[in-house]
Amino acid sequence: MIKLTGINKAEALRYMGYNKSIDLTDIEPLLKSCERELLSVIKPRYCYRIFHIESRENMILKDCSLHLSGKDIRAHLQGCDKVIIFAATLSAGTDKLINMYKIKDMTSALILDCMASAAIEQVCDMAEKEIKENTGNMTWRFSPGYGDLPIDLQSDFIRSINAEKLIGLTVTDSNILMPRKSVTAVIGLSDSELTKRRKGCAACNMADRCQYRKRGEHCGF
Amino acid sequence: MDFNELLKKDHIILDGAMGTMLQAQGLQAGGIPELLSITEPEKIINIHKSYIAAGSHIIYANTFGANRYKLKERNVEEIVKASVKCAKKACEGTNALAALDIGPIGQLLEPMGTLSFEEAYDIFKEIVLAGKDADIIVYETMTDLYEVKAGVLAAKENTSKPIIVTMTFEENMRTFTGCSISSMAITLEGLGVNAIGVNCSLGPKELYPIIEEMSKWTDLPIVVKPNAGLPDPVTNKYNVTPNEFAEYIAEMNKFGIRFVGGCCGTDPDYIRAAVKALEDMKPAVIQKEIPSAICSPANTVTVDMPRIIGERINPTGKKLFKEALKNKDIDYILSQAIEQIQGGAEILDVNVGLPETDEKEMMTAAVKAIQGVADAPLQIDTTDPDVLEAALRVYNGKPIVNSVNGEEKSLDTVLPIVKKYGAAVVGLTLDKDGIPAKAKKRIEIAEKIMNRALAIGIPKRDIYIDCLTLTASAEQSAVMETLKAVEYVKKHLGLHTVLGVSNISFGLPSRTLINSAFLTMALTKGLDLPIINPNIEAMTGAVRAYRLLAGHDINSSEFIEAYGSTEPVQIQGSHAEHTLEYAIEKGLKGEAGEITSALLKTKTPMDIINEIIIPSLDKAGNAFEKGRIFLPQLILSAGVAQEAFEILKAEIARSDDKSIDKGKIVIATVKGDVHDIGKNIVKVLLENYGYTVIDLGKDVEYEAVVNAVRENKCRLVGLSALMTTTLGAMENTIKLIRENSLDCKIMVGGAVLTPDYAKSIGADYYSKDAKQSVDIAKEVLG
Repeated sequence: MIKLTGINKAEALRYMGYNKSIDLTDIEPLLKSCERELLSVIKPRYCYRIFHIESRENMILKDCSLHLSGKDIRAHLQGCDKVIIFAATLSAGTDKLINMYKIKDMTSALILDCMASAAIEQVCDMAEKEIKENTGNMTWRFSPGYGDLPIDLQSDFIRSINAEKLIGLTVTDSNILMPRKSVTAVIGLSDSELTKRRKGCAACNMADRCQYRKRGEHCGF
Repeated sequence: MDFNELLKKDHIILDGAMGTMLQAQGLQAGGIPELLSITEPEKIINIHKSYIAAGSHIIYANTFGANRYKLKERNVEEIVKASVKCAKKACEGTNALAALDIGPIGQLLEPMGTLSFEEAYDIFKEIVLAGKDADIIVYETMTDLYEVKAGVLAAKENTSKPIIVTMTFEENMRTFTGCSISSMAITLEGLGVNAIGVNCSLGPKELYPIIEEMSKWTDLPIVVKPNAGLPDPVTNKYNVTPNEFAEYIAEMNKFGIRFVGGCCGTDPDYIRAAVKALEDMKPAVIQKEIPSAICSPANTVTVDMPRIIGERINPTGKKLFKEALKNKDIDYILSQAIEQIQGGAEILDVNVGLPETDEKEMMTAAVKAIQGVADAPLQIDTTDPDVLEAALRVYNGKPIVNSVNGEEKSLDTVLPIVKKYGAAVVGLTLDKDGIPAKAKKRIEIAEKIMNRALAIGIPKRDIYIDCLTLTASAEQSAVMETLKAVEYVKKHLGLHTVLGVSNISFGLPSRTLINSAFLTMALTKGLDLPIINPNIEAMTGAVRAYRLLAGHDINSSEFIEAYGSTEPVQIQGSHAEHTLEYAIEKGLKGEAGEITSALLKTKTPMDIINEIIIPSLDKAGNAFEKGRIFLPQLILSAGVAQEAFEILKAEIARSDDKSIDKGKIVIATVKGDVHDIGKNIVKVLLENYGYTVIDLGKDVEYEAVVNAVRENKCRLVGLSALMTTTLGAMENTIKLIRENSLDCKIMVGGAVLTPDYAKSIGADYYSKDAKQSVDIAKEVLG
């Protein structure tokens, strides 16, 4: 069971549009109390299954009906013989807290939303670490909607690892994961050393409208 | 054999997993097992038969995920019918019964998700009708009480079959959506299901505390259908053996379980082992008294000590509230809800009745919205049975109905609705002759209400009597009569009591003094549910102090938590050195109201807005544009300005001055999209510049935007979308606005938009952030 003891503040601030010239003194107490409250409602959960790649050509997985289409996922899984189909969530309490603050205090709602975005990444990182103890070399997380891996895979994705039953994850008709702060991802597995592939803007379909790039920054992916 | 016959057995044996059996026979992970009922019915029938052979009295048809949403374009009716046919076929020649098995739809319901309660009802209704050949209806693996309620209503209103509901709980004794065991039990017993329990979740051993807790809250037979432990991520094999499984099940007999089966990872061996282990066991009979309680999914409030009902969601005598109802301003109602809970309310009365407004529409919208942000159970307060039924339908949990009275017409219309939806009910001690002057007559009416409620099947614990507070200034002698009646009803009828307190002081000075004294007097006579303004510390404090003094608040811990750390509150003018400009710049929310009130002595509201608030916000906006402050600080400043605005609005409402309104703007997050933080930020800022914002919320239908623009004659619309997948919905909304040739400009915003794209879908303006939306509004509306 994963337990978060703190939120990655630098990351959360970045989502809020912070730059180093901004004085945080006045807002620091609010950041602190938001962090405390968020940590008290987050219930991190994740689930995964490991499948053998049966055919690299069409990305067919053994005993699994999920079809990972597109050239980007093929490139991502180069050198891998298995994949981890992974999902994680901060759970519904997080959404509820943020919704309550949307009525009570928008500043807190915004801060909590950004902190929760940072938190789900932390949860994924911690989950990966736990999984890694029992598996081999792993690629980074590649999610539906990234590159040309279709976002409308979400419902098949959830189904293939029973994520609704196991961690309470669902998806809307417009492919938005619910609870909101959740991640689904494909991680490649290999017994041999994997060459580090660059994550970057070139593969990202948000590149031309990315708010971080506009600021001369990088989303960190 | 039928269900009632079956109930005579000591233990009723259910089946084990279907999916596990099918995957062992080659079904892929992520495959759709329900299709096999059509393509390979023999396979399904054989699995059913193997469970019957193992000892199952009830088998679950292969219909778990057979709903419109999960099956996508496939034919639900055909698949459900085929699956039920397989189950019935397997039962032929045996005493086994076939259950229509219904799992979660797979989408989160509103207000968290986007699936509406009514749509969920339709989805379940379709399955229930298609599965009409089954003997029993089962809802299982549910995590959302709201979804269960939609399902139970769909089953009860379209069939007369017995209903079994099992939900999935985690180690923290809650479902994924936060539903507690007590809330599940009292809500479903109220709705009239036949058995409740737990399935899936965890291994059998981990379910002990869950079953133990459940048995405290219900008289219904309890069902347990655990997994065979936990699955391995590679092999998907479960880690509890049939014999271990059976041992654990036998151990649970002491909690009085009646229905037993297996979920994920189990097969006929597990069922056989369980049958054997329970063979010579009689189910334990547990002596219990079910507590009087009401609930939301996450919060059960027991009426075992005085509980505060907040009275503020009520337009009577409140100009701003009436205004909000006319404008369908749900956020205003929500802020009242949150404020009262912070003040100490444990239950919220909801009354939104106002002539010339659609009470039914407003009531359902308010109930749905409040339960999205607050966990306090609600008291539905209306005189219209139609509105009452609509509200009870969409309420998630077990509410209180306010109210029924001793008149025949009231008893005949209200009590059946209360019974159907399993609510608790307030009985007013008045009848066609009005409020009796003497306690004796009021007690008689209370008794009449009680007997009529009992006769219809409403348990005693769910009847709360209101002996009615009269105004002391007009009828001084009536005060003690009320208290006499309260005492008698509590002591001799054994019913809980409720009283609206504030009315006592009407027409008198220093009302809080009278109210809190009367409250304390009533509490000592046995008042359980005072209806008060919880934002007044003297009132909430009186209840908390009473709970301490009467020994309910063990070790005074609640009282100390509420008051132990507070400095004596003093209203003072010490913020005089801070100007409103300074408060806005520094984000000093607590001070804005006070400073603004002081400013009103020398300035008009419009002067304060134009000379102070707007220039201060402009300054913050500039700092934001230059990167000297970031978004949270900008919103913080806007929040302070908003506090100031609240004061100004109240002043304007008093003076009927309309000059503050700079024009109306409709805003919405488009259909399919649920990201509304950005839209809400825009709203706050626009309001601070004096615009009236009509916020349609998130996931908004195209037509709703068009209608709002037309009704309000808006000249500016703001649309927001955060996903590439919902940009289409934005384009469609714009198209529909244009097709209706409405005279309005459209601005759009959201992370995935670019100025070029905005232009290409026909928007007039692209707004890169909240600050720019204000600039656009100034340009369009002035």
